[in-house]
Amino acid sequence: MNEQINTLKKEISKAVIGQEAMVEGLLIGLLCDGHILVEGVPGLAKTTTINALSRALGLDSKRIQFTPDLLPSDIIGAQIYNPQDHSFSIKKGPLFTHLLLADEINRAPAKVQSALLEVMQERQVTIAEETFKLERPFLVMATQNPIEQEGVYALPEAQLDRFMMKIVVQHNSEAQELEIMRKAASKGFGEVQTVLSIEDLFALQEELGKIHIDEELEHYMVQIITATREPLRFGLEEIAENIMFGASPRASIDLYKAAKAKAFLRGNDFVTPADIGYVIHNVLRHRIVLSYEARAKGIHTDEIISAIIETLPIP
Amino acid sequence: MKNNLGKRSLHLFFFLLSFLTLQAEDFTYTFKVDQPNPYVKEPILLTLDLNQTNHDVVMLFSFDINPSEDYTFQRLDIQKTESYHDAKIHYVYLIYPLKSGDIHITFDLIKKVTTDESLAYSFSGDRDNVKKLVTTDTQIDLPPLQLRVKPLPEGTVLVGDFALTYDIKKHQAKAYEPLPFQVNIKGKGYPPLVETLLPKEGNFTRFTEKPIVKSVATQRGTQSTVTYPMALSYSQSFTLSPIVLKAFDPKTEKSYTLDIPSQHFEIEQVDTHRLVDTVDAPDSVKEDWSWLSTLLGYIVAFFAGYITALSWKWGKKKRQKENHPLIQKIRNCKDEKALLQVLIAADNTHFTSSIEKLESSLYGNGKINFNKVKQDSLEKII
Repeated sequence: MNEQINTLKKEISKAVIGQEAMVEGLLIGLLCDGHILVEGVPGLAKTTTINALSRALGLDSKRIQFTPDLLPSDIIGAQIYNPQDHSFSIKKGPLFTHLLLADEINRAPAKVQSALLEVMQERQVTIAEETFKLERPFLVMATQNPIEQEGVYALPEAQLDRFMMKIVVQHNSEAQELEIMRKAASKGFGEVQTVLSIEDLFALQEELGKIHIDEELEHYMVQIITATREPLRFGLEEIAENIMFGASPRASIDLYKAAKAKAFLRGNDFVTPADIGYVIHNVLRHRIVLSYEARAKGIHTDEIISAIIETLPIP
Repeated sequence: MKNNLGKRSLHLFFFLLSFLTLQAEDFTYTFKVDQPNPYVKEPILLTLDLNQTNHDVVMLFSFDINPSEDYTFQRLDIQKTESYHDAKIHYVYLIYPLKSGDIHITFDLIKKVTTDESLAYSFSGDRDNVKKLVTTDTQIDLPPLQLRVKPLPEGTVLVGDFALTYDIKKHQAKAYEPLPFQVNIKGKGYPPLVETLLPKEGNFTRFTEKPIVKSVATQRGTQSTVTYPMALSYSQSFTLSPIVLKAFDPKTEKSYTLDIPSQHFEIEQVDTHRLVDTVDAPDSVKEDWSWLSTLLGYIVAFFAGYITALSWKWGKKKRQKENHPLIQKIRNCKDEKALLQVLIAADNTHFTSSIEKLESSLYGNGKINFNKVKQDSLEKII
């Protein structure tokens, strides 16, 4: 199974140089039926990654650019009247796909965000009086631009919670940038081939369920989540005043799944504390609500998560 | 006989011209010229009287003589009545013709008509509520005043009744010592400005300044005092040639001269060798190598500064590494589990290999050198 994962990664790397964190995040999301929120400046190969992943898996992919004048019907679809035979027909929106890139999700008003996030949760769409189940797999990779915060509609915490992971995409290293530059100039990016089928993906998801996780580690994960809600109970006085709200139960579920997926991607059949460490920041960074004091001091949720990991003894 | 008749006719014409009253639409104007047949640079008194005849409106006037290269002029007086419906204005000008022959003096007269309301409104109110006076302006075409100007006798440089005085402080001096020389020309007439007062003869050095002119124009002419401050200097004795300025008085119609007689100046020669300080004279110039030590000093200072900057740069990375918060945390780790905990809490992508080694030791069967893993982790920081 690990060979299949390596083949998939290798195929994606034909089109995407670097950005391992984003590729791995997408794979975890795909294996766990989760959705991914990506934060990064423009031009970091977000669309390319989604396209490469869809081709490598033989899946459909679509991209929606979120704008302030976008309507829910623009993404969901609508019932259209046909004057020739006086009938209504359903026009499905771009949501009907396997991999969806929701670009700059915070540019659209709340009603559109809400429509998308509801579909992400329910995995079904209702147009007029007809309900359509979305095909599996269904993964939304939403992006947010950390700069240009004027005129955006920030996602509320309740909606952010529906994303399994929030990945912060960084710029490539100089060596990677040089490789991208050369390949782009000589049109040297390879053609991504389909290396895995949907059935293979489902089989991988089945395999994921077999990954063993020790009871102690389960307790450890619950302790981490609880520590975000009640830091004083775990002797985390220094971060207590920085947290307004801790992580939700969805965080526990997603951390559990993500840790297993990480172990699976690493080729292990059991989860170690390191696997939890690898995914913990991505799973929790958008789920902890900072207090006003913490925001004023410029504290980031990553620092709070690190403080919790450093304090709680690992099994 | 014919000549006499012609002269008399000409005099009569100019007499009529000198006293000319004309009727415009709603005012009259009268020119008076005291001398219609002057000499060049002879003062002429011109008066203009404007009298409003249409008393229904408020009338204002703007008058001046147009400038020309043929004459120069100066306004001496304006007298106005205070009545707005019966304007009476008396202008007085002093004019000097600058060339002989027929010259035409042209005028610029604007009649400004307004109403009592506009006038009252423009003058009433405080300083923040001042309105421009609204008038209806009419340019009046006045006929030019013709003067037949007589030429001056040849060689005349001054016109009027002048007296010349001069002052030479001393006639003896040392070589190149300045000899102050001042000339004053005072009197009534065209301001006595002479371009070059000093004669061209002689090799002596001439120092001249801009002449100081004090003049007052009156209806009887211009009273002037012009002072020429000068100085002379030379290495040898020399003689200043006599200065003769030919002047002409138009009142008496006679020419006269203003003279400065020839002046001799005795110059005492100076032995230049005596001026050299033989007692405190400086030593002859020797080879000076002090610049070399200064240059070496600068080079040493430059390299010292350069090396200091480099050493700071070299030490920067080390200092940054030492100040990194993870350094102390990693150093404080007593066992593998503690180190793993610190590394996964940190930016774990940098420590993947160390984390894997620790994992294999803790949860597998691998054996590791704890201190080496610790050292590897420290080296990956920054």
